Amino acid sequence: MQKFRKVIQFIFLAPLFIVPILNLLEIYFMKGTYISLDVGGLSISDPVSVLQALFLSHHVAPIMLVSVAVPALIVIFFGRVWCSWACPYYLMLDGFEALRKKLKLKSLKKPYKKDIHIKANISRLGILILGLIFVGIIGVPLLYLISPPSIMSSQSVLLIKYAYVTAEFILLPILIIIEFFFGYRIWCRYVCPTGTCLSLMQTKFSMHVEYSGKCSNCNQCIRVCPMMLDPKTESLSSACNNCGECISACPDNKKEKTLYFKSH
Amino acid sequence: MSIFDNIKNALNSFPVKSTYKINRMRPPGSVDDDLFMKLCIRCARCVEACPYRVLRRSSATKNAEIGTPYIYADVAGCQLCMKCTSVCPTGAIDSSTVEMQQVSIGVARINEDTCMNHLYAKVESGELEPTGNMALCNSCLNTCPLKDDAIYLKDGIIPTITEKCTGCGLCVERCPIKPIKAIYIIPKNMPDAETAGYYNYLKRIGKQ
Ligand code: SF4
Ligand code: SF4
Ligand code: SF4
Ligand code: SF4
Ligand code: SF4
Repeated sequence: MQKFRKVIQFIFLAPLFIVPILNLLEIYFMKGTYISLDVGGLSISDPVSVLQALFLSHHVAPIMLVSVAVPALIVIFFGRVWCSWACPYYLMLDGFEALRKKLKLKSLKKPYKKDIHIKANISRLGILILGLIFVGIIGVPLLYLISPPSIMSSQSVLLIKYAYVTAEFILLPILIIIEFFFGYRIWCRYVCPTGTCLSLMQTKFSMHVEYSGKCSNCNQCIRVCPMMLDPKTESLSSACNNCGECISACPDNKKEKTLYFKSH
Repeated sequence: MSIFDNIKNALNSFPVKSTYKINRMRPPGSVDDDLFMKLCIRCARCVEACPYRVLRRSSATKNAEIGTPYIYADVAGCQLCMKCTSVCPTGAIDSSTVEMQQVSIGVARINEDTCMNHLYAKVESGELEPTGNMALCNSCLNTCPLKDDAIYLKDGIIPTITEKCTGCGLCVERCPIKPIKAIYIIPKNMPDAETAGYYNYLKRIGKQ
């Protein structure tokens, strides 16, 4: 399953380059960035951006609602899969982990502590709320400035089409340094407003990891979880992004269904 | 003034909205700039859609326009191809703008002291001493996509702009006068009391 996830991640990385290149060839089948993408007329937007625009302008364009329908439905059915299966930033972090391993550096991941995900969830929810308040005060939807997937895709368009970047680019090198040298998935776990907003749409009926209740307690799943959860007991936490690493790592799964995805 | 008034004024003039700048316009069909700044989610779709690479994403300025699309007329004017009007996911650009006649992103003004045609007319009427290189230029007239509607030659010499001017900025791009072009665009709907007021003032007294 993890191989499959990698493939999907790379497929979602591709538009970063394909869209601007198609664009240069004057093919407009796919256009936009990960703030808002248009594939053959189907419009898909980042819910946080649209939320801000709605909230500030008191102005509802039908296309705005339609464009969040797809991400909302995906989250409602499959959970926050955008993060682990598609977000280019997450792919980069996966890459960093692998690179650190290759370079024989110690993993930055701290040992599992119970309920650490609650702290992380409060932090990112707080940042989203503070961000929305800030946006409300200044009246300009600026949260995209701290959304790595948005920045990555808009800057790649600019780089390829116009050969310049705009100021928000600066966040990327800073984050790269922080994530590579100082912390383990800091941005995704503690900050990212996009991820948080997607988490909020997840319900307990969405697809999630289910535990059969009995296993050999090897705790392999805890060791691999990138969100520092205990998949056996905490998989309903909004931090879980359904990456499925725990399921792939579980040795008992070979004998019987111990840890598996379940949707209602 | 009471403290409350001070706070109110400070908040109301909080400098994060977009600013007025000559020769810098929003894409065709854009809504009023106050609303535009709220609606535009900076997705860069319009920037991508522009086949002439005219729309550019603005970077950090002292205000919060960062990421929004602009046309910089002195670099390149908008060709009014209307490719960008249909792609906006939030309605910051009104998708009902399909004809170039509907567009109204600004209005061109001519600097009578530097425009070659104006100088020519002044020399002819004896107002100015003739200098070495006098010539009729007509570049702005010839490049205008709404030639004779938006711009015409008054008395066969003076380029004159009418209220049909879309503000595309092609004339600015072509004007040969350097370094400051003799023709410039006053963008519409930009929230700056003084300069936008200038435009409104001209409109009020019927001089567009
Ligand atoms: S939390 Fe944000 S940066 Fe992290 S994977 Fe999700 S969308 Fe991407
Ligand atoms: S609990 Fe499992 S699926 Fe959820 S984030 Fe952790 S490893 Fe991934
Ligand atoms: S109308 Fe055409 S040329 Fe003008 S800004 Fe839009 S896409 Fe570019
Ligand atoms: S397409 Fe619309 S929302 Fe996107 S950058 Fe252009 S004006 Fe803004
Ligand atoms: S292009 Fe410039 S110099 Fe030539 S007629 Fe027009 S305004 Fe005058």
